[in-house]
Amino acid sequence: MLGLDRFDPMKRIICFDDFDRGFCGWTQLVGNYEHDLDSMLPGYAQHTQPQLSNVSHWDAGTHGSVDGTYALKVATRARAGAQNTAIKRLTFRKPGPIRLEFYFTFKPEATELVLSETDVRSWGFLYDLQQGDLGDRGGSGDRVMPHFRFLNATGGKHLQRWQYKDQTTEFKPLGTQGKTVTHYHLAPEGWKDLPGGEQKLCYNEIPTKVNWHYLRFDFDLRTMRALELQCNDRTYDVREAAPIVIPAMRNLWCMLNMVFFVETDVDKRAMLYIDSVCLSGEF
Amino acid sequence: MTMLRENQTAVVARNEWWADGDASEPYEAGWASEAMVFLRALDAQGEGGRAVVQVSPDGLRWVDEGTRFDAPDRGQVAFARVREFGQWLRVRMELPKGRRVKVLLTYNLKS
Repeated sequence: MLGLDRFDPMKRIICFDDFDRGFCGWTQLVGNYEHDLDSMLPGYAQHTQPQLSNVSHWDAGTHGSVDGTYALKVATRARAGAQNTAIKRLTFRKPGPIRLEFYFTFKPEATELVLSETDVRSWGFLYDLQQGDLGDRGGSGDRVMPHFRFLNATGGKHLQRWQYKDQTTEFKPLGTQGKTVTHYHLAPEGWKDLPGGEQKLCYNEIPTKVNWHYLRFDFDLRTMRALELQCNDRTYDVREAAPIVIPAMRNLWCMLNMVFFVETDVDKRAMLYIDSVCLSGEF
Repeated sequence: MTMLRENQTAVVARNEWWADGDASEPYEAGWASEAMVFLRALDAQGEGGRAVVQVSPDGLRWVDEGTRFDAPDRGQVAFARVREFGQWLRVRMELPKGRRVKVLLTYNLKS
């Protein structure tokens, strides 16, 4: 298929999403609630819909994507610490190795005529997974959420390093029916540096010039452990980077959700653009 | 293979209290040739005012598109049709003092 040749997929293509073909099932991550939207945690309430962007700027017009016009855009609000996400929800049929690959770039909103390279705090990706109901432990398996982010900057310091997270926040019950809970796994606390995970990425020279980057993440759905992370010319062994593991939930068997997220460090919108995504598996 | 028209429902603001001058986040939809703008009042205080559709060359600077409609009261849905809006859309509230609307703002966009 056109465009697939820039990926290195495993044997089976689970999905190949080029945003020149539309949203391809990527949507907004709405938080859990019961009876009243006010019960949604603030971290989720701030989320908005992802957009199909042609990556245009006030000074140079349309930039376009890797091989066409459109990319998926995730944009935060213009408030320091604000986050936003995009999600695609699948289930898996074979608990084995899977590979996530995508082309991305990130930039702050070009509201100032300065370089602004430390305005985006971080961006990243995660899986939200749950073992099958007839899994190794007879249906009492785990929900597993590997999180990785590129910590670009905090407080004006250009840190540029990979991090992972192995703990979420406490669970909070919602409503009155005893069926719905929530937790904020994207909380800013709890991120750990990936050993040797410093990496300087191409940012370019003004906030309206973008360069596309490649990322690959290998994970094993059988062992529920991360295997390897590649970003451009660097490859990291991430087998020691534990995922978040929490008890299985009653309705999430074989869940395979993919999430992209972005966070701003200043009162300015941060943008994560995804040109295309390929999810493949060894089956 | 026949290509169907792209068609998206975007929930741009959800459960937010808006007062005079508040506006939705910029929404980029240059691929769309038409938009239905739905504004639902989940709750409301006071009476009167209106919602104003705005467009932008860059998502940074906004001007009135010319479409405006009465701000909905609690439980109501108001809407407007917009075409040839370029690339960016937002909705800005013009409300009298003391008037607030808790909004659910939804765009239905078609290529």
